Amino acid sequence: MRSNRVGWLLLAPTIAILGIFGIVPFLYVLYVAFHQWNPFGANPYMIYNGANNFRRLVFDNEFLTSIAFTLKFAFFAVLSEVILGYFLAQLFMKEFPGRGLFRTIHTLPLIVAPIVVGSVWRLMMTPSIGIVPYLLKSWFGYDLNIGRDATMAFALTVIMDIWHWTPLVTLTLLAALVSLPKEPFEQAQIDGANRWQIFWHVTLPMIRPAILATVFIRLMDALRTVDEVWMLTGGGPGAATRYLGLHIWKIVFPKTDYGYGSATSVIVLYLTLVMCWLLYVALVARRDQKRAS
Amino acid sequence: MEHMIDLDEVDDEASTIVASQQRTGFLPIVTNWFDRVFVGIYLFVALELFWMRFLEQSIPLSVCHVLAIALGVLIVWRG
Repeated sequence: MRSNRVGWLLLAPTIAILGIFGIVPFLYVLYVAFHQWNPFGANPYMIYNGANNFRRLVFDNEFLTSIAFTLKFAFFAVLSEVILGYFLAQLFMKEFPGRGLFRTIHTLPLIVAPIVVGSVWRLMMTPSIGIVPYLLKSWFGYDLNIGRDATMAFALTVIMDIWHWTPLVTLTLLAALVSLPKEPFEQAQIDGANRWQIFWHVTLPMIRPAILATVFIRLMDALRTVDEVWMLTGGGPGAATRYLGLHIWKIVFPKTDYGYGSATSVIVLYLTLVMCWLLYVALVARRDQKRAS
Repeated sequence: MEHMIDLDEVDDEASTIVASQQRTGFLPIVTNWFDRVFVGIYLFVALELFWMRFLEQSIPLSVCHVLAIALGVLIVWRG
């Protein structure tokens, strides 16, 4: 009984912080989601409107389209980051001249604020002054204009995200790879396993928890990306890069429709949790269950 | 002399407690009650949104409330 009390006492600061900065704001957003509230409109007071915001949401084509774009963005960005991050982590496991310097330079994008990343990429991609359109034009004759080409705008948002966040994946996987024991690898080599078999049957199962944690973190981040994309494309051309975070931003700030924006945020949180839970069930829970039975 | 703690016995006791909390119902994974409440709430929301989009014009949403709550109870009870 005493140990329980000590346990709760030790947990209390975490629970208090989580409650103040996580649970209370979430409950407030949930409360606002069931109201019509435009504090800068003709009627600035909250008016309870039941599930009308959610009813509006399921018929909102812009919202449904932005879900599709966001899922596409998250899929390509996270998959590329994990694959590239793994190869870079393997590279950093080997000794080569300038490894420390390369590792430091490679980690630099992580310390740049997303809004700055977006601004820099915008400068680089602007047709009249950017270095990338200039080089593409002079080398390949390709006319890059992200204000007109929706596919290219989408691809560039993905590439920008990969550039910004691959170092995080690399560092996480590098930490996992460094901490692996040598014996299973030596044993596999003695048994005559080739490099692919060692990767598939030894390395991958052993770093699976690290990969999963990274995928969850990056998936959640990718689903709520706003500032980088806002700076680079502004959600355009048309609605080609209007991802969910940007969609919510446009509802809440320019339109000041707080009730509908809150309802949209709640649904985005719902989608994120469902996707993470499904991934967890597919990759962890069922596998653990099979192993136990 | 202090009472010696048998660590194996403590481990067995802990695994028995975990086993008693986790069980397999019709859901395809081992769950505890919190998992089932979680799944129940998520299916509740999904059903409500689906109903609003496709069925509310012909069948009132209150029918969905009843069905969703019944489904939630079933999952927590038997899932």
